[in-house]
Amino acid sequence: MSRVAIVGTGQTKFSKEDDDVEKLLFESANRCIQSTNNCDSKDIEGVLVSTNNNSKYLGAILSETMGIQPKISHSIEHLCSSGTNAIISAYAYISSGLSDMILVSGAESATNPGQVLEWDKSRGTLDHPIYWGSLLTKSHKRKFQTTEEELAIVSAKNHKQAMDNPFAYSNEPRTISEVMNSKQITDDLRILDCSRSCSGSSSILLASEEKAKTFSDQPIWIAGIGQKTTSASFTKNILEEIESTRIAADSAYKMAKIESKNIHVAEVHDAFSVCELMAISELGITSNEKSGEFVRNLFNTENRMINPRGGLIGAGHPLGATGISQTIEITNQLQGKSDKRQITNAKTGLIHNMSAAGTSSSIMVLQN
Amino acid sequence: MTFFEEQLEQGIFQICYCGNCNDTIWPPNEICHTCNNKTNWKKSANFGKILEFSKKESLYFGLIEIDEGIRVLGEITSKSIPEVGQSVRMSVSFDSKPHYSFIVENN
Repeated sequence: MSRVAIVGTGQTKFSKEDDDVEKLLFESANRCIQSTNNCDSKDIEGVLVSTNNNSKYLGAILSETMGIQPKISHSIEHLCSSGTNAIISAYAYISSGLSDMILVSGAESATNPGQVLEWDKSRGTLDHPIYWGSLLTKSHKRKFQTTEEELAIVSAKNHKQAMDNPFAYSNEPRTISEVMNSKQITDDLRILDCSRSCSGSSSILLASEEKAKTFSDQPIWIAGIGQKTTSASFTKNILEEIESTRIAADSAYKMAKIESKNIHVAEVHDAFSVCELMAISELGITSNEKSGEFVRNLFNTENRMINPRGGLIGAGHPLGATGISQTIEITNQLQGKSDKRQITNAKTGLIHNMSAAGTSSSIMVLQN
Repeated sequence: MTFFEEQLEQGIFQICYCGNCNDTIWPPNEICHTCNNKTNWKKSANFGKILEFSKKESLYFGLIEIDEGIRVLGEITSKSIPEVGQSVRMSVSFDSKPHYSFIVENN
């Protein structure tokens, strides 16, 4: 099995405005290829597109607009974690020897259809994510005595970190007080506790070990992968847990031969504020009881270890692009190219991307 | 419309179960996920318990566990603030989506 490296990246700025998915895909893919050393369209043997958009045949459409005639091209949809699922599929193609180089592009328009899972009859009319977000939050408060302020700190921290991310949908700072006094969505959610559906696109080029050095002076290696789907319907969840994340993390750590204490920087799936607290606990970075205190310390010491690009809350959440943007951030961190967001001496980084209230999770461990 | 949805429209929550495995299948499906036999239906007794709740504007909502471990999201009507573990009675309808609503008992 070949090792697999990330050798190129490209992104568009996220936006609240609706935009055309085909155009967005082209923009980020073009930036990705332009940023990659010696890259010619003939080198690209696979084009995978991740999106929740209903447009058809996007792998072939992106290939044609980019002047690529790949061996492999198709779309991948898995709600909010479509992006990492596409990267992991590309990993499998390369490590198995079916391909040496794959372009993975994800995009979404702000009015994407991916927020509601119609199949899940157990949600009834309460099928918008704010309902499960509220119940997870209420349950976390009840079980772990998590305070409104601790939840608000997640959002304030991620908005602050997003100020230094040129691709974030908003670069406005938000204080803890502003978050706590923002529009009330439910008794347990404020508008600034929620990630926002956006338009945006991100692309990444993956290459085999044999080819990686040709295309990058600093290839970043995918050292660990873990995935788990526990169900599709939200109501099977235990409210205080994200079981899929815990299982996926364990697999990823074993594959990378690391423990959670070895992680220097992580992008976690903060769909709502409470999700960041739950994720860092399930990843083994802290415990549920101490997660609020952990994030408070990060905020007070300006430590950007968790969600340096601002997470989903700060940067925006174009579903099909999110997992790829998370991966690009960790890649840049491990290459020392994150400017003001840089974590000193980052050697090992983690991406946590999940779908539908954590009914499935994908984890990747990257190393330089 | 599926049988489950047609029955909801008539105010009946049908529980899908496998007689062979003695297990409920939720969300409902024609085939058991364990033994692949055809599943059967039985009417819910329409009782449940509140597992967690929150409130949007003036409407309480929550995660309710009804008969035989089936969980649904629905609206909760209560004269006072609901409590976890409280018993509720379910009523259902269907209008393009299932609609589950619950009334707190003894309140």
